[in-house]
Amino acid sequence: MKALAIGFKPSDLGEALAVLNRLAEALGEELEANALIISKEPFKHGGFHKIYHVKTASLYNSIGSIYKVMDDLTVDTVVSPNIKDGVDLLGRVATKIDGFMVTEVSSIEKIDGDVYLARPILGGRATAYYRYTPGTLFTYTVGKFQPIDEAGEPDVIEVTTEPGSYTVVGVEEKKRGAVDIESAEVVVGVGRGFRSKDDIKMASELAELLGGEVGCSRPIAADFGWLDEDRWIGISGKKIRPKLYIPIGISGAPQHIMAANDSKVIVAVNKDKNAPIFNYSDYGVVADLYQFLPVFIKVLRERLVK
Amino acid sequence: MDIAVLVKASLDVNLVRGDAEGRLLKEAIPLAISEYDRNAVYEAVRLRDALGGKVYILSVLTWGPTQRRMRDFENVVREALALGGDEAHVVVDEAAVEAGPKATAYILSKLVDKLGGVGLVLCGEASMDMMASQVSNYLASYLGYNSVTFVRELSIEGGKVRCKRDLENYIEMVETELPAVISVTGEINKPRLPTLLQIRRAFAKPLKTYSLSDIGVSELPKQTPTKYELVKVSRKNIIIEGASMEEIASKLVDKLIEEGVLRR
Repeated sequence: MKALAIGFKPSDLGEALAVLNRLAEALGEELEANALIISKEPFKHGGFHKIYHVKTASLYNSIGSIYKVMDDLTVDTVVSPNIKDGVDLLGRVATKIDGFMVTEVSSIEKIDGDVYLARPILGGRATAYYRYTPGTLFTYTVGKFQPIDEAGEPDVIEVTTEPGSYTVVGVEEKKRGAVDIESAEVVVGVGRGFRSKDDIKMASELAELLGGEVGCSRPIAADFGWLDEDRWIGISGKKIRPKLYIPIGISGAPQHIMAANDSKVIVAVNKDKNAPIFNYSDYGVVADLYQFLPVFIKVLRERLVK
Repeated sequence: MDIAVLVKASLDVNLVRGDAEGRLLKEAIPLAISEYDRNAVYEAVRLRDALGGKVYILSVLTWGPTQRRMRDFENVVREALALGGDEAHVVVDEAAVEAGPKATAYILSKLVDKLGGVGLVLCGEASMDMMASQVSNYLASYLGYNSVTFVRELSIEGGKVRCKRDLENYIEMVETELPAVISVTGEINKPRLPTLLQIRRAFAKPLKTYSLSDIGVSELPKQTPTKYELVKVSRKNIIIEGASMEEIASKLVDKLIEEGVLRR
């Protein structure tokens, strides 16, 4: 099996190697892994036959070059981390080679001699299985495959940047604080149940007490701008997997739940006992957050300090 | 400039049904307009009001059995018309059911051809049910149009479209020439609920239904999942009750200590 892994940052290659090894093992084939790196600086990783490097941080600066690499290399599959540019890129390559694509593969299964790519659908409520055949490209869920570190220094082939029919006019860093809720051990979620920006202090106090970070639902970041977008939990925002997630005043839209469902324990606080969030929670408190939170913080403080 | 908007009648992710054996009961799940498609329609209407032309609502019914889905499907299409679409062109054919994003894009490309081409195609960044984010790139490739994805702001000037792509860590501004297919995120605008008058008017707007043979499609590049499985909800779903907030808070802290998620 000959494969191409797309990498945007160094950690992508170890993960891609794990994905490709798993696929080759399921198929019972030898793997020849190649990589295409889209990044300002090249990086190396063992286990790859050839590494192509397009020197740009922007996918849309390199679409022409990627097509050139595809012409140069006949592969059975192309894989990429499931980030937006990865999904976009594989979609283009799939059309280019007249192949099929599966988005957000979370596991590779061998069932009765056939190999299947499994992915979450319906907001994480169901799994769809696609039979893998050569010519099927896929993005894989970040964090689901244990990265493989391999020694070795493959040659890096520099590819000229060709944007094709697109012009990148500019790039803006997103406004962000120094938080990384994706790797936080405890996350306190702020939803529309909070009546003002000032009231979020209560959630911050709780998060601090628990050694965690504050996250939020879409309206809080995107509509009200009460918190930066790097705290927004959702499929268009951040995906979290803490030990403890406490959504407060969040009703539980499917996009939010899908991005939080890898949390180990979920505790929901909402005054509406019919809020969908309770279906996805281990523990629920049906109460007005303005009555419950101050008491919860007080009790926690007493018990934690003891 | 005429604009086509792709609208999906998605399985309603809030009403997922399954049986005790863990089978997904797809046919028992009602259809609803895919959320980001409302943003796409709203954006198309904004552009039409500024630039002139028509807004075509295009849709393919991809969940079967088609016979039983017709009412739900028409409601979805009428909702898009009530949001401001001028006319709807839809494909209903058992062969299109669960045919996958590539086949759906192929069908849509034939529908766009049937309309004589358009200046711009808008769609949501992903459908609520399948979230594949693939149709726009396939469609652009079939039509020979440019493709820009995950767009949260766009403007059109002199045959060019300038887009702000919303990526994980940064915003990228990209320019390309029309015609183009553009997928938009939920942040591009805030669609208002249609008024009663708009809803009533939507029923008078043209809605044309085609079969695959009507638009000259005989073979489809299908990619259908081999099987679906319900994900078992493994959450405990325990509601903590008590006579006072203190009692509830205290019981909750007990549970969290039991779970080993509190540092004591």
